Amino acid sequence: MKRKTRTRILINGSSNLSEQLATQITDRYEVQMIEEPNNGLVMVKMEENAKKSLFYLGEVFVTECKVQINGQLGIGILKGDKPELSYYLAVIDAAYQAELDEVKGWIPLLLAEEENIAVERKEFDNKVLQTKVNFENMDVE
Amino acid sequence: MGYVAVKGGTHAIEESIRRLKYERTKKKSILHVKNIEAGMRGLIDQTMSESSLFSEKLASIAIKQAEGNPEEAVFLLRAYRSTLPRKHYSNKVVSEDMRVERRISASFKDIPGGQILGATTDYTHRLLDFNLATETDEDLLSWVSDFEKEETTDSDDTDLTKLTKVIDYLRNEGLVQECERNDQEPDDVTRKSLEFPSSRSERLQILSRGQTGAVTSLAYAVIRGYGSLHPTVGELRVGDLPIYINNPIDPTDDDDSYFIGEIKVTEAEMLMPVTVEKEHGKKEIEFEIGYGVCYGQNETKAISMGILDNCLENKNPDYPSHNEEFVLFHIDSVESTGFISHLKMPHYVTFQSKLDSVRKTKKKHSELNQEKQEVRV
Repeated sequence: MKRKTRTRILINGSSNLSEQLATQITDRYEVQMIEEPNNGLVMVKMEENAKKSLFYLGEVFVTECKVQINGQLGIGILKGDKPELSYYLAVIDAAYQAELDEVKGWIPLLLAEEENIAVERKEFDNKVLQTKVNFENMDVE
Repeated sequence: MGYVAVKGGTHAIEESIRRLKYERTKKKSILHVKNIEAGMRGLIDQTMSESSLFSEKLASIAIKQAEGNPEEAVFLLRAYRSTLPRKHYSNKVVSEDMRVERRISASFKDIPGGQILGATTDYTHRLLDFNLATETDEDLLSWVSDFEKEETTDSDDTDLTKLTKVIDYLRNEGLVQECERNDQEPDDVTRKSLEFPSSRSERLQILSRGQTGAVTSLAYAVIRGYGSLHPTVGELRVGDLPIYINNPIDPTDDDDSYFIGEIKVTEAEMLMPVTVEKEHGKKEIEFEIGYGVCYGQNETKAISMGILDNCLENKNPDYPSHNEEFVLFHIDSVESTGFISHLKMPHYVTFQSKLDSVRKTKKKHSELNQEKQEVRV
């Protein structure tokens, strides 16, 4: 699974899954801390729709962590102050980079979590769609 | 009169700061940060937007420390932000990717995907709800639980992550001019001081982090006649934008990027009718777009930004609202409140110097008058 999809599932899903996957790795491999979880900023670059040009919308407060497994770097980064989750994400990322055997078993778990997220979001969206206006034409005499 | 240098006030300042803490705590009841985060969405959104820093938690702490004063909360967040390293720049964010929670158009009744009101105060009666004074945790939890359990009746398969933009609809009809995508890297006003003429990216960045009240007042002035625009809301949307950063080691593959989370923003695309001259001097009406966007749900600000964006794209010496220096130099919360506020700081020497000049001038005048009277006698 590509990193873009994987990180989206892990961050939008339950943090328990990240903890569960990361623990599988930390129990069996030596994880070298490269950069302790720390706070910083990500500047958001946005495209506007009037002239289709780029500008900076502002910054997002993030937590970032870097670890190494078998010489492979893993990065965990996400919005907010979440040191533990950033560590789990970094371990999972390094496990993918190091192509550890455990990773192969994660696909079904990640896909199941993706499905959970989709169900939750659909429920949320259904509620939002209750606010959609249903126009009715009035009688004209 | 000579000047005398003085020092002192340390004890008074320390006591003043303790007194400030006393004012925050004297009712002997703690306002928990989690309560601010839970119930002050509007103030949090305004604070994040004006400080240009997205973090509900940090904004809530700043609001607590500032006792709910937004200008002080923004100052605190901007100061804290300056201590943090900027680790990454996001990949390009486009609002077509927004997961919409609210989306309306004041220009068209029937828009693809429909008018979705979402959460809005627009249709409330603005009657003060006295029940809130006695609301309990049980009341709140029970209401939320019931709301979340409610089955939705109609099945509507609208995908809220793929709503067509109203402006694209107009572009397809040729009513809004097509424009080429411009991927030039933006300027950054937090890294380089603003100089005039400003770039479009600088203008949008400053407007987006402008003080809500200032941006709104200037936009209102435009509509009242201190500007030459007649805007309509083409599309207003509120929702979450996904943010990704490139893999710092190999930034070439988009699928290899990191998702870092979603941020809630409000986006307004304002339509302004303009008369354009076509071939053979034929005049036609087209629409220009004013673009507004800001952190959180702050619709008045996003709409106002859209109005001012279009003003500054069309400079007009007749109106201050179309003057980029007038608008951009005066809407920043920290700069404007900071400058006004600094007037309270001791200006003893400068004021005494002015007083000296006045006294000398007065003395000179009275001596001259006296000489004139003596000559007459």
